[in-house]
Amino acid sequence: MEALRAAFDFSDFRPTERWVSRVVAAFLLAFPLLPVSSFATATMIQFLMFSLYGMGWNTIGGYGGQVDLGKAQYVGIGAYTTAVALIRWDVPFWVSMPVGMGFAVLWSFAIGYPLFRLRGHYFAIATIAASLVLKDLFEVWDFVGAARGLEIPAHRFPTPDFVRLIFKEDVYYYYVLLAFFFGGVLYMNAFRKSRLGYQLRLIKDNEDMARSLGINVHWAKVKTYAIATAFVSMVGSFHACYIKNIEPEDTMSLDLSILIALMAMLGGAGSLWGPIIGAGILIPLKSYFKEWFGARAGLVGMDLILYALIIMVVSAAEPRGIWGLVERYRARKESA
Amino acid sequence: MDILVSSVVAGVLIGMVLALVALGLTIIFGVMDIVNFAHGEFLMLGMYTGLLTANATGMDPLLGIPVAAVVGYLLGVACYWGFIRFLLRGPMVAQLLGTFGLMLLLRNLALLLFGSEDRGVNAGLLVGKSVDFGMGVIVPATKLAAAALSLVSFVGVWLLMNRTRVGKALTATALNAQAARYMGIPTERMNALAWGIGGATVTIAGALIVNFWSVNPYVGLLFTMIAFTIVALGGFGSVPGALAAGIVVGLLMEIPGIWDSVAYATEWDWMMDVPVTSFKYTFVYLAYFVIMVVRPRGLFGWKH
Repeated sequence: MEALRAAFDFSDFRPTERWVSRVVAAFLLAFPLLPVSSFATATMIQFLMFSLYGMGWNTIGGYGGQVDLGKAQYVGIGAYTTAVALIRWDVPFWVSMPVGMGFAVLWSFAIGYPLFRLRGHYFAIATIAASLVLKDLFEVWDFVGAARGLEIPAHRFPTPDFVRLIFKEDVYYYYVLLAFFFGGVLYMNAFRKSRLGYQLRLIKDNEDMARSLGINVHWAKVKTYAIATAFVSMVGSFHACYIKNIEPEDTMSLDLSILIALMAMLGGAGSLWGPIIGAGILIPLKSYFKEWFGARAGLVGMDLILYALIIMVVSAAEPRGIWGLVERYRARKESA
Repeated sequence: MDILVSSVVAGVLIGMVLALVALGLTIIFGVMDIVNFAHGEFLMLGMYTGLLTANATGMDPLLGIPVAAVVGYLLGVACYWGFIRFLLRGPMVAQLLGTFGLMLLLRNLALLLFGSEDRGVNAGLLVGKSVDFGMGVIVPATKLAAAALSLVSFVGVWLLMNRTRVGKALTATALNAQAARYMGIPTERMNALAWGIGGATVTIAGALIVNFWSVNPYVGLLFTMIAFTIVALGGFGSVPGALAAGIVVGLLMEIPGIWDSVAYATEWDWMMDVPVTSFKYTFVYLAYFVIMVVRPRGLFGWKH
């Protein structure tokens, strides 16, 4: 009950922030009603997916300061659970998604428990290694289609199918994902004010002090890692139903892991709006760059070169991300 | 049995080259505590440099090594002054993602310039030749030369680090940058030098590897992960550790071959049924994971 009240309580934000978020929420709700191309809708779905990935990453990476670069393995677990369950046993999405989250959380304990003894770079690179091992396993495991991956035979089901989450029009996917998105924002709003949220921020600032105050640092990290994992795996399940064709290379690659971290970090790690801002800026840039340079001008790689330059400039000039710029502007205005 | 011996020999030889790949990463990490995700991309550029110099001049690819070294040195120094210097002020997450941005940039520049197809060296003094050591051990001459030249480069870097004034200044910076600054060592320039040496060694390794490994713009990531593993095993910042760990990782990469040879020699069915050959580099990643969990400082680590 307390948590529910915290989730809907945005009163500690500034009036401007609350107004902007209301306008954005209204825009997101009305977006499919606008006369937009299917390309724009697909980009918006990507934006919502990556905001949710980023929110998950932000719990452990942003609030907790533990740089995790292996999130893609949990995307894969979620996506594969849903796809395998649907193809083999015709299990509906709403059942397979929580099951996938369960698998992902169990795996996150197996990975997180030993790894959270490490700090800094050591932890970051070890998460990559763990993720790559899992990816290699999936690439030879025949049960999940090995390197060819799996394809959900959408034509077998009458659409729209809300139980299996199989649709022909993107707009249905959009609204289902938007519901997840609002749920995610509310959850994160409660999380940031929860006991665990405060413990994590202390761990990030001064781990030794946290320990001396009697916080079980290791357990707090493992718990938060599980929460982040559940988030990511949930979106992974959605990804399976939306893309319908999953391969280890798409769902479990290092590039995806890093992209997830990038969204949250460039938007502003450790703030509620950070991942949303990051995804809101980077995803449209990425898809439109690709459209303009790759598809139209035929300059393969040009889109990613520009993209890489943006990443480099932001990480060198404003490491606290775009939200860091806002906070710096506010601090200057207040001191003036 | 012959296959077993030749697998081990192949593992040791490739291990020496991989050690050279990891050497630059470990020096950079040791001197300034920054993990370079773009390391494999430096190697990829070294491979292209070796390949293109050989194609353009018609010389043997091995003669392209000095060119590759110069390219790598300049690239490393330029990256430091132009980019890494600014990253060092930020938190760790910004450093990781910043070098990831560098990796994306170099990879896609290569894609734009050289195209995406696989390319390899197919002419040269050593290509197609092999050396027979008896006992069924036949080694391609390119791999043997690569291993030998790697060892030479390794000794060169070790001498530079331990026997020269500038190398001692570099080591001092690695041990304690603040104290080194008080002693009048220009630590900024030492950082740049570390990037230069790191870049040069890895591009030399690239020019050696391209003799027996085809190159495309995406080849870097695999080598980045291999280099991370070697550095973790050998200890972050340790030069001799990198050599020993490189050989261990080279052997790990030959596990599928060794497994098969044992399976055929003993005719044990359960061994044949396990699809080890499909796990090309899994053992390398797995080793990394296990080392990190068991002994985060590495087997020969001297720096925490």
